[in-house]
Amino acid sequence: MTTANDVLSALQSAFPGAIEDAKVDPERQLWATIKPDKIVDVCKYLRDNHNFDHYSGAAGVDKINEGLFEVTELLASHGAHQVVALLKVKTPRDNPSVKSLTGLFWNANWYEREIWEMLGINFEDHPELYPLLLSDELVGVWPWRKDYKGYPDYTTAERAIERINSEGYMEYHIPPTEAEIEAGTVPVERPKYPSLREREEMEIKGESEMILHLGPQHAVVPGPFLLDLLVDGERVKKAFLDVGYIHKGIEKIMENRTYVQGIPITDRLCYMAALTNNEAYCGSVERLLGIEAPERAQYIRMILEELSRIQSHLLGTGEFLTLIGSAVFCPFLYMIIDREDVLTCIESVTGARINHSFVRFGGVRNDLPDGFKDMTLDVLKKVRQKTEEYKELFLSDSIYNKRMEGVGVLSPSEARRLGVSGPPLRASDTPYDMRREDPYLLYKEMDFDVITRKEGDSKARIEVRLDEIVESCYIIEQCLDQIPSGPIQEKLPKRIKPDPGEAYYRVEDHRGEMGFFVVSDGSDKPVKVKARGPVYAYFQALPPLLEGTYIADVVAIAGSMDACTSEVDR
Amino acid sequence: MGISDVIPLPVVVDEELEKWTIWGKPLTDVWFTTTEKIHEIIEMGPIKNVLNWGRKNSLWFLMQPMGCCGVEMLVFGCPPYDCDRFGIFPRATPRQVDVMIISGYITRKYLPAIKNLWEQIPEPKWVMAIGECAISGGPFYDSYNIINNTGRFFPIDVYVPGCPPRPEKFIEGFRGLQEKIKQREDKRGY
Amino acid sequence: MVLSAITEFAAQEPKLYAFIIGLVGAAILASVINVGAMAVVWLERKVMGDLQARYGPNRVGGRWGILQLGADAIKLFTKEDIIPRGADKPVYVWAPIVASATTMLVAGAIPFGAVIIDGKEIPLVVANMDISALYVEAVLSLMAISAFMAGWSSNNKYSMLGAFRGVARMISYEVPMGVCVISVAIMAHSLNLVEIVQAQSIWFAVAQPLGFIIFTIALITDLGRMPFDQTEAEEEIIAGYNTEYSGIRFGLLYFQEYNSMLLGAILLVLLYLGGWNGPVIPVISFISPMIWFFMKLLIVLVALIWIRVSLLRFRIDQVTDLGWKVMLPLSMVNLAWAVAVGLYFA
Repeated sequence: MTTANDVLSALQSAFPGAIEDAKVDPERQLWATIKPDKIVDVCKYLRDNHNFDHYSGAAGVDKINEGLFEVTELLASHGAHQVVALLKVKTPRDNPSVKSLTGLFWNANWYEREIWEMLGINFEDHPELYPLLLSDELVGVWPWRKDYKGYPDYTTAERAIERINSEGYMEYHIPPTEAEIEAGTVPVERPKYPSLREREEMEIKGESEMILHLGPQHAVVPGPFLLDLLVDGERVKKAFLDVGYIHKGIEKIMENRTYVQGIPITDRLCYMAALTNNEAYCGSVERLLGIEAPERAQYIRMILEELSRIQSHLLGTGEFLTLIGSAVFCPFLYMIIDREDVLTCIESVTGARINHSFVRFGGVRNDLPDGFKDMTLDVLKKVRQKTEEYKELFLSDSIYNKRMEGVGVLSPSEARRLGVSGPPLRASDTPYDMRREDPYLLYKEMDFDVITRKEGDSKARIEVRLDEIVESCYIIEQCLDQIPSGPIQEKLPKRIKPDPGEAYYRVEDHRGEMGFFVVSDGSDKPVKVKARGPVYAYFQALPPLLEGTYIADVVAIAGSMDACTSEVDR
Repeated sequence: MGISDVIPLPVVVDEELEKWTIWGKPLTDVWFTTTEKIHEIIEMGPIKNVLNWGRKNSLWFLMQPMGCCGVEMLVFGCPPYDCDRFGIFPRATPRQVDVMIISGYITRKYLPAIKNLWEQIPEPKWVMAIGECAISGGPFYDSYNIINNTGRFFPIDVYVPGCPPRPEKFIEGFRGLQEKIKQREDKRGY
Repeated sequence: MVLSAITEFAAQEPKLYAFIIGLVGAAILASVINVGAMAVVWLERKVMGDLQARYGPNRVGGRWGILQLGADAIKLFTKEDIIPRGADKPVYVWAPIVASATTMLVAGAIPFGAVIIDGKEIPLVVANMDISALYVEAVLSLMAISAFMAGWSSNNKYSMLGAFRGVARMISYEVPMGVCVISVAIMAHSLNLVEIVQAQSIWFAVAQPLGFIIFTIALITDLGRMPFDQTEAEEEIIAGYNTEYSGIRFGLLYFQEYNSMLLGAILLVLLYLGGWNGPVIPVISFISPMIWFFMKLLIVLVALIWIRVSLLRFRIDQVTDLGWKVMLPLSMVNLAWAVAVGLYFA
């Protein structure tokens, strides 16, 4: 098995002089600073010779004291080894520019676009450097820069101006306020780029083609996003995706809160996976602090995260069924009833239904209540039985099979290229699960299977989710059997000030690989928090998947991905 | 204008008619009805109570999940909570709804779209702000992209606090709106 | 006294008398069918609630929620009426009217049961035509026209897609449905619905099981209910052809769906389930056919609702595939069967 040290020595011998202050910390993570002109070559070398075929994301850090921007590229492998490479590239603050990795990794596109619109770092050779999350009036403001003047006072638009556009329809526009102009948050010069509408209209070729807008408000979308389909009759020729309708700037907000205050914000990152988001954030801060939670706390975390996975999968599957059926489809409502039972279990511990803020640095907030074990075992028994029933029901439903088989097929190589993770990747015959791949908590000691399917279509994705519910039940039962007594919280000072440094920690979210990259400068607030979410990756992969399908299949494909818009937009 | 101006009738009839009243107003005032006159009558009389009874018991809302509250909105329509009991259920198109639920963060990018949705809803219509984000920005009050004064853009009748509020709170919010409609105290004056 | 006066009047002015009677009949018919549709909406919401482990309306009008429909109607009547700027106004305005007119036209020719007076069975039908089965079948297909009018005139992309889907579906299912009706007519030696019912000493559902299944599926398709509701697939094209409709215009379109559901269920009962035939119940022999008729109707309606909540939606190309490649050949087989059986017993 390749270790991080092997990779490091290979890199150092292949690119002498290009690698600066490299280190391995902890054992599976390789940190290195690469000369800006060598980054593409290094990544290509890693991809071709060391199986780093999983581009996991990129984070831009504004080091204003050093007058530098740092872009950190995260590379990993789809199961060949467990090393994560975090490669940093430095670029001066005035006229920042970095080489783009889009030529090597298809899915680098969105990550780089985001860094460009937020920090203003130019990516050379990027094919479409258009804004992704921000509205047009905020482009050029570079809100994530440390010297951005808009924080925290000039945050809201005072009024929306109504005006009639060229097509005769009323539209609303939010001009900058006087305060904003005075404060200098309005950019002098805005970048030039074609708008989404113009880009779409360029693609219309024939008389019979039209653009069908699904969103931002539409029954198919789990949150606001815009899915524009170029359709010819019932066939989709091309799909365009516009996200950012609920971009809240979570990462910027977390930079302005203390470490503990960041935990409730991570809840709202993705409301279906609040506990795993907590876990990912707390895990990375624990790495910065160099502590680890007591054993009992780790068990409690595992129990709750798996319960949370069950409720998320139940809702995800149910919601999906409403998309290919209708909102009155009975099994959906039965799944919601099951989910309510699971939520009752979670609520008895955390006190909340959705946003828990339960996981703490070095522990958890409170202990399991009396009678939790019996209640949970009862619920799990019921859930497992019902899940088997659902599987049987769907397998014998010919309309279900007709709608789902061979729809939205992702071949294993294509799934890896598009960068998806979690159930969609596992449905494409790739056993890639963070609980096995990068074991966190005590998953090493647990006995469970990583569910995979060969087909890679919508049906396989749903089957993987339903099977994972059963698997999660099994894990929880093991945890409840083995859980020791003891403390649930490490002793920590009231004011948490980690030493300067960086940490990356990834967990298996309900939807895939969730990672938190936290940079500290020794103060009580993080310099940079980057959330690498799984749904972001799905969304990027959605438009190529939708090409050539029927309009009705768009729903089946998008739904089977189990999206969560909040996490994409952050 | 009297009736004798239009139909050849003795003036006595006209004088007699002027004495007649309907809900405290002379009948001749409303004899030749215009739309405004009809509205006036409806506004005064018990018909309005009947109309408002119908309206308050048939509040269809726009299916528009926006954030954490969107999940609870979904559950709100499902078995344990069952909004259909009160005649409340979701529709997908703004043309056929009465209530818009703002169930999350409104950003600069989304505001024009949500304003458009609001304009597309036919009168009479109401809007509810559900969750902290919709009321005041919630935990994201200081973000560069969040509108935290929603009340400026929409005539919000009911605020339901919580992050997110439980589905029971949704029911409470709708009951509050029903009560407001019944008492004719809603912001837009139905 | 009054009766004799009317008879006298009828003798003197037969044309005027027929006209007045027609008007009165139409008024009664319209109210009966609309009240029936309201009952169907209520039934659907309650039965659907039961199937989904919830209650359904239970606050407005007592614990059975009987006045819920009244509240909905009041609200829809007093909603603002929006006609979109780009809409084709006359067509847009006429589409809901055409839709409700269609159901009224169908209702005129359908017998709503029968009563027994002096041992004689009198069917309750407004227009007892010789070709009523054919007529009903023909007028039912007008429903797709009204949907197309609504969808096309709205100047909305979702509406237009819904309208196209509706027409594609109608064309592929009207043929097997027609063939089924012909098979029934061959077996009953008549196109008159009343005579078809009277000919069913054995239910045609038993005599032509294949035809019964095909007709049921084609009927659900015609009504646009799950699993064939592609015209208004909420999750794909918002609300399909009625996306832009609001207020009472939407109310009419919405109501028409339930009107036609009621009529479709009645048609199914008449053609295949023996109509009002059944053993005479001794004490209340006067309305015993009505009781049988309503029991059968209720079962069919509940079955339709049950199907709606337990099946997923087909894709539009799968629907037309099914129509042309499976339903049409099978309906031909059924026709051959009906002819063979008819010849054998003749």
